[in-house]
Amino acid sequence: MSLRLNRRSFLSLTAAGAALPLTSRFAMAATPFAFQASWINDAEFAGYFLAIDKGYYAAEGLDVTYMSGGPDVIPESTLISGKADLTLTTPDTTIKAIVEQGAPFKIIGAQYQKNPIGIVSLASKPINTPQDLVGKTLAVPPVNVVSVEAMLKISGVDRAAVNIVPYAYDPTPLIKGEIDASLDFTTNVPYTIKQAGVEATSFLLYDFGFTIFNDTVVVTEEVLKSKRKEIVAFLRASRKGWDENLADPAVYPPTFAETWFKGTGRTIENEVYFNTAQKPLMAAEGGIFSMSEEAIAKNIEALAAVGIKATRDMFDTTVLAEI
Amino acid sequence: MGIRSMLSRVRPLINLLILMAIWEVAGQLKLVADGALPAPSAILLRLLTDWSDYPNHIGATLYGAGAGFLIGNLVAVALGTLFALYPVTARLARGMNVAIFALPPIAISPILVLTLNEMAPRIVLAAIGCYFVTMTSTVVGLTQADPRAIDLVRAYGGNKWQALWLVRMRSALPTILSGLRIAAPNAVLGSILAEFGGGGRWGLGVYLLGSLGRAEPDRLWGIGLVATAIAALAYFAFAALGARLLKGTEAVTVPSALPHSGDVTRPLWQRVLILLGSIALPFALWWALLAALRVPAMIAKTPPGLFDYLFVLPSAAAAQVKLLAALAQTLPMTLIGMAAGLALAFLLALTSQVRPGIVRALLPVALVTQTMPLVALTPLLVLMLGRGPAVILWITISVTFFPAFVTMAQGLLLVPRAALDVPRAYGASLFTQLRLVSVPASLPYLFAATRLTAPRALLGVMIAEWLATGTGLGNLLNQSRGYLDYGMIWAVAVVSVLISVFFYQVVVVIERRTLSRLGMAVAD
Repeated sequence: MSLRLNRRSFLSLTAAGAALPLTSRFAMAATPFAFQASWINDAEFAGYFLAIDKGYYAAEGLDVTYMSGGPDVIPESTLISGKADLTLTTPDTTIKAIVEQGAPFKIIGAQYQKNPIGIVSLASKPINTPQDLVGKTLAVPPVNVVSVEAMLKISGVDRAAVNIVPYAYDPTPLIKGEIDASLDFTTNVPYTIKQAGVEATSFLLYDFGFTIFNDTVVVTEEVLKSKRKEIVAFLRASRKGWDENLADPAVYPPTFAETWFKGTGRTIENEVYFNTAQKPLMAAEGGIFSMSEEAIAKNIEALAAVGIKATRDMFDTTVLAEI
Repeated sequence: MGIRSMLSRVRPLINLLILMAIWEVAGQLKLVADGALPAPSAILLRLLTDWSDYPNHIGATLYGAGAGFLIGNLVAVALGTLFALYPVTARLARGMNVAIFALPPIAISPILVLTLNEMAPRIVLAAIGCYFVTMTSTVVGLTQADPRAIDLVRAYGGNKWQALWLVRMRSALPTILSGLRIAAPNAVLGSILAEFGGGGRWGLGVYLLGSLGRAEPDRLWGIGLVATAIAALAYFAFAALGARLLKGTEAVTVPSALPHSGDVTRPLWQRVLILLGSIALPFALWWALLAALRVPAMIAKTPPGLFDYLFVLPSAAAAQVKLLAALAQTLPMTLIGMAAGLALAFLLALTSQVRPGIVRALLPVALVTQTMPLVALTPLLVLMLGRGPAVILWITISVTFFPAFVTMAQGLLLVPRAALDVPRAYGASLFTQLRLVSVPASLPYLFAATRLTAPRALLGVMIAEWLATGTGLGNLLNQSRGYLDYGMIWAVAVVSVLISVFFYQVVVVIERRTLSRLGMAVAD
């Protein structure tokens, strides 16, 4: 299901219009632009929510359709089927699809400079390094098994020494001690576990050699050609939304409580925790979404360790340059 | 009403209360899986605090289920009428009908999500859940019409269509309504299952998946109970409607056999042609639908596209190895799970003959495990049973047991009392009575139960593999989605439908041989 501009954002849009009577863009019909998010509505997308609510996309002449994701949504599939113009992905699966199936994708930006995915364990039985995983049971979503295997390989840990079981994004088995650790977003799960009355600890795969981005901004080559102007406009408005949201991570999540975050079953404190935790992972010298040559090289190197042959031409930095 | 019959009416309620009390104590004292099973009171309290989240989610699920129910039943009644009027079409559509009956929803849902937009996958899966039940009851209802009434219409110069409208439709109404009773909860479950794979913001399935990461079992159970309550309400709404309109009740059966539509005997070459047509039809439909929807070839595999993926492309060998390895894990578990589910259902059905009280107490539990989305129960089962074969077995038993039990218990109930009087008069033990009379007499129902269980066992195993053990077809399906391995997603879906159809056919063949040797008729 998609959500178009809601009443609140419509009001703020008209307010913005009243404040800038000279902007002729409002007279023009806005171009439709569909954005597929990679997860359910949480702080991971706060910057986009803010940009919609404050009319930043409208000011760029875009009529953005926001499509929520979830554990079972494959963002890349919505690009291929033409349901979305732009999406956020994990770079390993995207590049794998380019290499193995000739998928016509281009990576044009990265929301997370450092992948927030990490190994979460209980503080009472802490797992602080890949070496600590030997002889332990680790729950991993089937999609991420490749990433974990890469990290183990880079850290010189025998894959056979770790018991990997499927993870359905439910921390209960970890809290109850049925498993020793799980792979999840470190920006989120430690808070959930704390709510259940237990302290958690975590480390990033990124800090142990699996140096990849996450939520890479992906479009198809065709859309990159036909909608280049709109893509640049989308990234510009999104960056504005993110900058404003991250200036003080505690400010904006509460304003989405009755709109974007309604019905997700999560507390606003949880979203503020998330928003605060993701700030250092997103920070980049060239601004939000940037991909430095050094960072791209690190991605290619880390993926090579898993046997995924990424090349420089899969990353296109020219769009960023136009923001 | 005497005290005895009063008591027997209140009994199930008392049993339920005792059960709830045990559950409450177990929950409060954290007896099960270190507190992962919440007490009923905790679930209700949680439901109240979360209530503001629910209306939108319930609304979206009802929308998908409602639209699917409407469309699925309209198609089912239309096609059922066609099958009843022109029996040759029923034979041609046999392959399609068995496939729709047997397909495991979790294998189909990713494909629907890939090829359709927004609410459509939910509506289609809900419609598929309704189709078989309603189609079967339409055919049965229409063909069972009183031939004398049809003759009367014909005698007054009425044609086939007038006979259909004036007699057949009217006489089929009770059967169709009793079919709708079972179709209604099926639609709700179909919609929720498609929500699991379909993204979107609203729907009980979406809410459940989103809440899975919260480590709050009381909320998961709350969502599961709301889903169960909606399914139950849908069932009782149509039961009440049927009772009002028809002032009578019908026994509930879960149909699993294709009804006989009274086709004439044909020469061999015609029969072979029809058989081939019935096998080709599902593939032709699959191809035609994809062409009509214009889904890109990378995502949507046509039959030749899938053939290329599995046999021609350079990656074919690797794909075959993966698929066969998964099958080697899934198939044995499916057979064991099916056997265990049937055995348990059979034991309980026999017990119900001797001690009806035990069964009445257990039925509510069985009913909940039946309609409660398994995704909500799996974390609990994993905590209690671990991630080995035990958890696969229990999940499989929980999806196969209930329909098998209902069918078998009904078969045992229908054994003529007079037949039992003979061994009784000779002083035979209860066991001998069962062995000599009850079991052989209810054989058709045992087969019907087996037919019903075969596809469900595969579904149960795949759910367990996907959520708990990370093995077999269930895991391969999930992993392939993550790796964007579209060919494999289609391969798993098609293979799992083929396996289900194969199991179903095997049971049908054995059933026909056995029953015709014993001179018995096939039960629905």
